[in-house]
Amino acid sequence: MGKEELTEAVRSVLGHGFSDMDIIRALHMANNDVTGAINIILDTPKFSSGEKTSSQKVREQPKSEVYGASSMVESSNLSRETSDDMQLDRRNDTFQACSIKNDETKELDDRSIKNESVSRFTGESLGSINSNWWFVGSSDITALSTCKGRKLKVGEIVSFSFPFKNSPPSHKTSGKLFGRGRPNTACSEIVRFSTKYSGEIGRIPTEWARSLLPLVKAGKVQIEGSCKSAPDTLSIMDTITLSVSVYINSSMFRKRHQASPKSFRSLPEDSTVHPLPVLFRLLGLTPFKKAEFMPEDFYSRKRSLDLKDSSGVCVPLLPPEKIRKLSSDSNRVENEQEENISDSDVDKLVGTSDSSELEEMDPPHTLQCELRPYQKQALHWMVQLEKGRCLDEAGTALHPCWDAYHLADPRDLVVYINAFSGDATTEFPSALQMSRGGILADAMGLGKTIMTIALLLSHSDKGGSGSGPVSQHSSYTGEVSSIIDHSPDMSEDPIISSGFSKLVKLGKISHVSGGNLIVCPMTLLGQWKAEIEAHVEPGSLSLYVHYGQSRPKDAKVLTQYDVVLTTYGVLASEFQAENAEDNGGLYSVRWFRVVLDEAHTIKSTKSQTSMAAAALTADRRWCLTGTPIQNNLEDIYSLLRFLRVEPWSNWGLWHKLIQKPFEEGDERGLKIVQTILRPIMLRRTKSSTDKEGRPMLVLPPADVEVIYCELTEAEKDFYEALFKRSKVKFDQFVEQGRVLHNYASILELLLRLRQCCDHPFLVMSRGDTQEYSDLNKLAKRFLKVGQDALIGENDVAPSRAYIQEVVEDLRKGEKGECPICLEVFEDSVLTPCAHRLCRECLLASWRNANSGICPVCRKILSRQDLITVPSESRFQIDVDKNWVESSKVSVLLQQLEILRSLGSKSIVISQWTAFLDLLQIPLSRKNIKFVRLDGTLNQQQREKVIRNFTEDTGVLVMLLSLKAGGVGINLTAASAAFLLDPWWNPAVEEQAVMRVHRIGQTKRVAIKRFIVKGTVEERMEAVQARKQRMISGALTDQEVRTARIEELKMLFT
Amino acid sequence: MANTNLPRRIIKETQRLLSDPAPGISASPSEDNMRYFNVMILGPTQSPYEGGVFKLELFLPEEYPMAAPKVRFLTKIYHPNIDKLGRICLDILKDKWSPALQIRTVLLSIQALLSAPNPDDPLSDNIAKHWKANEAEAVETAKEWTRLYASGT
Repeated sequence: MGKEELTEAVRSVLGHGFSDMDIIRALHMANNDVTGAINIILDTPKFSSGEKTSSQKVREQPKSEVYGASSMVESSNLSRETSDDMQLDRRNDTFQACSIKNDETKELDDRSIKNESVSRFTGESLGSINSNWWFVGSSDITALSTCKGRKLKVGEIVSFSFPFKNSPPSHKTSGKLFGRGRPNTACSEIVRFSTKYSGEIGRIPTEWARSLLPLVKAGKVQIEGSCKSAPDTLSIMDTITLSVSVYINSSMFRKRHQASPKSFRSLPEDSTVHPLPVLFRLLGLTPFKKAEFMPEDFYSRKRSLDLKDSSGVCVPLLPPEKIRKLSSDSNRVENEQEENISDSDVDKLVGTSDSSELEEMDPPHTLQCELRPYQKQALHWMVQLEKGRCLDEAGTALHPCWDAYHLADPRDLVVYINAFSGDATTEFPSALQMSRGGILADAMGLGKTIMTIALLLSHSDKGGSGSGPVSQHSSYTGEVSSIIDHSPDMSEDPIISSGFSKLVKLGKISHVSGGNLIVCPMTLLGQWKAEIEAHVEPGSLSLYVHYGQSRPKDAKVLTQYDVVLTTYGVLASEFQAENAEDNGGLYSVRWFRVVLDEAHTIKSTKSQTSMAAAALTADRRWCLTGTPIQNNLEDIYSLLRFLRVEPWSNWGLWHKLIQKPFEEGDERGLKIVQTILRPIMLRRTKSSTDKEGRPMLVLPPADVEVIYCELTEAEKDFYEALFKRSKVKFDQFVEQGRVLHNYASILELLLRLRQCCDHPFLVMSRGDTQEYSDLNKLAKRFLKVGQDALIGENDVAPSRAYIQEVVEDLRKGEKGECPICLEVFEDSVLTPCAHRLCRECLLASWRNANSGICPVCRKILSRQDLITVPSESRFQIDVDKNWVESSKVSVLLQQLEILRSLGSKSIVISQWTAFLDLLQIPLSRKNIKFVRLDGTLNQQQREKVIRNFTEDTGVLVMLLSLKAGGVGINLTAASAAFLLDPWWNPAVEEQAVMRVHRIGQTKRVAIKRFIVKGTVEERMEAVQARKQRMISGALTDQEVRTARIEELKMLFT
Repeated sequence: MANTNLPRRIIKETQRLLSDPAPGISASPSEDNMRYFNVMILGPTQSPYEGGVFKLELFLPEEYPMAAPKVRFLTKIYHPNIDKLGRICLDILKDKWSPALQIRTVLLSIQALLSAPNPDDPLSDNIAKHWKANEAEAVETAKEWTRLYASGT
């Protein structure tokens, strides 16, 4: 039945005594049930308001407007004469107020404690004289009557009552009356109004109630109102027009510098809908300046986000002509756990910049080297980005996340509301407060370091004296704490907590203005230092390395220098230290500029390092990384958080608009990322071209070749035996369906097989002795154990003197013999009681695999107590005496001999330092001079090794461990790279190889990868290829599990 | 027989026993079985066994050194911890064996046991009772036995 038919049906019973409106209302209440509607009408006296009412309304309208306006004037005059105290009195004289405090801000704290029903209403206008309350605006509300028979005069003041938690439902009658057909609005959301004389009159619409409720509750907003028009006699569901005025408390406006990009992980997804902007809209306020970013732009999933069109609106940080369409045709991401994304994938993901149109900028004369054109472009780009988007406008341009409103208050206040966080402020949110900096993501080898040094020289005033408004952009104190505690109970009301919670904790910490801070991995400290010293005119940049135990804590020391170099480790440890700001150090300085080198180090959002970086106080922020995304799209979030790229440093938003769509395969997530990154990221690769279309960096070609080796008969036998044994174990796991439970064991099996491909001796290598390879460390730990052991009852701890003697013997390389086999120690271990035995002998003496007694003193030991004694060789056999070349080694040696005849240097890369140990034997025997770089070297040693390799023409080979070679180091003295064993992830290999093939390389480079035919190495290649095809996001957990098992099976075929 | 397969440790121990014998102790492997040793221990001075030469046999089991050697007095001896079959009650030959012990240390321990009989942990109940009831008399008996059975020839 249509509405008209229903109406007719009711009318046919009741006749024409009721207006159409009445009938429709009744029908609505009865859920379109005709009988129900008739009953409602007949049961409710005076249900009919008659046609007269509506016509009366129309007639009265102009009059009431005049009245409303004059009453406003009257009331403000009145309140001008009243003191605060009087106001309090008046407010206490309210309909059902239980507790009202004059100091509204206090209530913010109190409300959580007192669960009383607070009803706030104002009998009269608060007026504008009260400096704490600002008149926002007036509007008409179409409210509904919830009473019958009561009267409401036009112009009569109404008071509002807000339901708060635990408040007893005070209007049970209404529930009864409307129990049937009415949509069930949660009782807690109903805002009612009443008059002094008649009591409850009606309720205001839900939309109003919802936006008012949290704000009034928090004491941020007050509302007052009067009747504008109402039927003479009210009946239920009658329409009442109220004229309301809304006031906002000045505590709502927080100081801008307290603003902080906060992690909203604890907040519900809807945290991006905030009551204040809604209220403003309801009041009919329109921003005279609209935010350029609006949450709605991103929320409507239905609307296709054509970012190519809207990019100008979205992130116009650069002039539109510089925003180009994406080069990426494919948005596939290899999103593997533990797997990095290869360079080319990064390009696809984030796009590369077509930089040919960028202007160039000459570096200052203090830079003592020539920049290439593309480096000058980067310099220009960086300087521009630091200035803010448009130099002239930056100070006056509104931050793109903020709306600007004029309040109706006669004091002519402008209020800015953040479209994303709902935060409000009266301070002008300038575009300068946005991130100033970006991501320099040029591919490896293009000289990010030198470009950054040029930037340091070009624009490096200490103390942020760059431009005025910067100075008010100060402490981010609040952020440190908000990052640390994600506890959801920070405020019971998550919807408004974003705006208010920070008010509670106002730490005022004065930061000392500092210069540039460069944070890099420990391995790069030396390189930075060397590059700065080499390329900067002496005296133009003072440099200080903030590293080591004895580093000063005094902020004054740090601020004396133009450039402070430190490591991520130092950063994290100073961040973890309690009261970092008070203790001085990196966090007590407001840096002019912070540069994170190898910025992907901070990719894990929750890591200490990442939080530590984000908590730094700085005016300009830069990320240098060749791999802005390593594993996951989320990696970008960490960078944006550090850079303060609003609004994306808000986790909730990031997650909702980017991460989740991306994970669900919605391309728009990725497109937003690309749109965000395009203006703030510069990424060129070696193949990028300059203005004339020439490649901007001409590197000599690199020839990549795979050398397939054949195992000798003996090796083959050994390999096959090992393989069979491994396969039996693997098949057992498969049969039991416990492959993934035994993942670690399987990887161990594979590890041995892979090592066997390098050299069978590796299979017999000892457990990792790295940890105690330093004798001093060992002695220390040992003596400590000795002291601790004093506690045990039966334990007679070895005397300190004895332990010292043992350690001294070890240090002197005393051979000694095992008390069990009476032979020279092999793979010896020390017991906590300081007895040294061969590992095998000791374990064989035990009945139980994991514990037993010390054969010498009968102390009970467990296996993990044993300390591996460092020794020169980590092999169970004397490899030097028994040396034989493996087929891989033979091939390598042939290659090296050829290179020796040419006088060319090369690097030899393996993932196992034990293999490097083995390689030292034939290299020494053949008198091929080599150096070695691995993870055991400290910074000075590394620098020395690299210098030695670069400068000494006699040194032909560098043995490099894959992990140590991954970062930053420059080995362009070599023209060949040998990758001896395949790694699971080609990106890591690529990184190591790039140490050779990078800027400064003048020779043709040969890259040779070794693969042993018919072994697990060959199948690893297949798995790698397969992985490239697999997009992890597209597979379910089960599929990923199956895929992993499949992969493992492939390896064991 | 098993000699061809003799562990390096046994060979090493044997060499050392022969080249650098412990005072008052001699041990030499049998020619047909390198795991079987003929042992002689001189009775320690100031003990009831002074002047005696005691013969023992020592056998290294297959598991040696993870298991204790088997040692037995061949010479009759009056001692609370040694029974009439020559079996010795010594913890290191049983549960307190450790692979860090050697033939030499075992024999030195036995020599020490002769110096310090321990009637509280007896193997031979009668002798132990005698030792406890009347030590002087028991010592005399021991001396007597030493003269009778361990006088060298």
